[in-house]
Amino acid sequence: MSIYAVNKLCREALRDVTFRAALKRDPQAAIASLPLTDDERAALLRGDVAWLYARGAHPFLLAYLTRWELFGLTVRLYSERIRAAREPVHTE
Amino acid sequence: MADIVAAFGVPHTPNFPALVAKQGSDCKTARLYAEVARHLREASPDVLVIYTDDHFNTFFFDNFPTFAVGIADQICGPNDQTTMPSYRVAGEAALASHVRAKAIAGGFDLSLMQEFELDHSIMVPLHFLTPDMQIPIVPLFINGLAPPLPSARRCLALGRAVGDAIADWPANKRVAVVGSGSFSLEIGGPKIPLGERAGTPDPQWARHVQDHLEHGRVDDLVEESTPARLAQAGNIGGELLNWIAMLGVVGDRKPNFIAPEIEHGHAYAAWRLD
Repeated sequence: MSIYAVNKLCREALRDVTFRAALKRDPQAAIASLPLTDDERAALLRGDVAWLYARGAHPFLLAYLTRWELFGLTVRLYSERIRAAREPVHTE
Repeated sequence: MADIVAAFGVPHTPNFPALVAKQGSDCKTARLYAEVARHLREASPDVLVIYTDDHFNTFFFDNFPTFAVGIADQICGPNDQTTMPSYRVAGEAALASHVRAKAIAGGFDLSLMQEFELDHSIMVPLHFLTPDMQIPIVPLFINGLAPPLPSARRCLALGRAVGDAIADWPANKRVAVVGSGSFSLEIGGPKIPLGERAGTPDPQWARHVQDHLEHGRVDDLVEESTPARLAQAGNIGGELLNWIAMLGVVGDRKPNFIAPEIEHGHAYAAWRLD
């Protein structure tokens, strides 16, 4: 269930300019207080969108991260990684 | 009693307002919207009932209805930083309340929202179809993006129930119904092309859907639009459900106008029902 916090983080990056700037400046510090699991936190910090997608993060929201290249995710890098992703459980 | 005078289907691609502002009114996208807008003007509706998904802007996963109706006198948007003008449009709250009551009585438990803004999924169609924002709207939401999606059959039945409610509305008004969305579109998922944020993974399906629409084969369309088939068309492929709900007032009638933009995985269509 806590993938909810990942989805919410993506939406807040779109809506909250201050949070977005903090994510850009120091991602580890910016997400420190969020209710993420250790695995989610690690996956975000390494920009592992395939892992997040496979656990149910919504791709429409994940793709926001590329708009500001958060967690190092250029469009190119994001697309390379997501194209290798496994489908989440609900569509398998 | 109210009359259902027309139905329309259009895309709501968020970069279209900026694209048309740049390319001008002669570009293909502008001409296709203009053709639908012409039919809309001729049908002269007093109210637009619009089916759309939302993209986690009006709703989020903290509170996420499968079906919902918006009841408000004034509605603003877009609320998702789409590059386009900000608009305020009137809501037709009396019809929205009537539809909600009738739908619930008929077995469709529509969620209610009364204080909300709308994202590009309604504001882009209005920007092109009724840029003066002079026609009040009733927004109806269908979850087309976050599995599990409602079935196509359920969405068609919802569209019929809403159509019955509109026809039963004791107001001497002309009502048009709009469905908005893509047939094949992937955003941010494994089917995107390398180096892109989005793509059209299944243009063949988009063409096939357009063919069913063109020939009034609503039952075939509903039969084939399984969750797996929609997913194959892309993670935004569930937006077809907005069109299928709209077809609830169309039945097997053929459109007066239909044209594809297959490269984008969607189409534009108009049915005159008066």
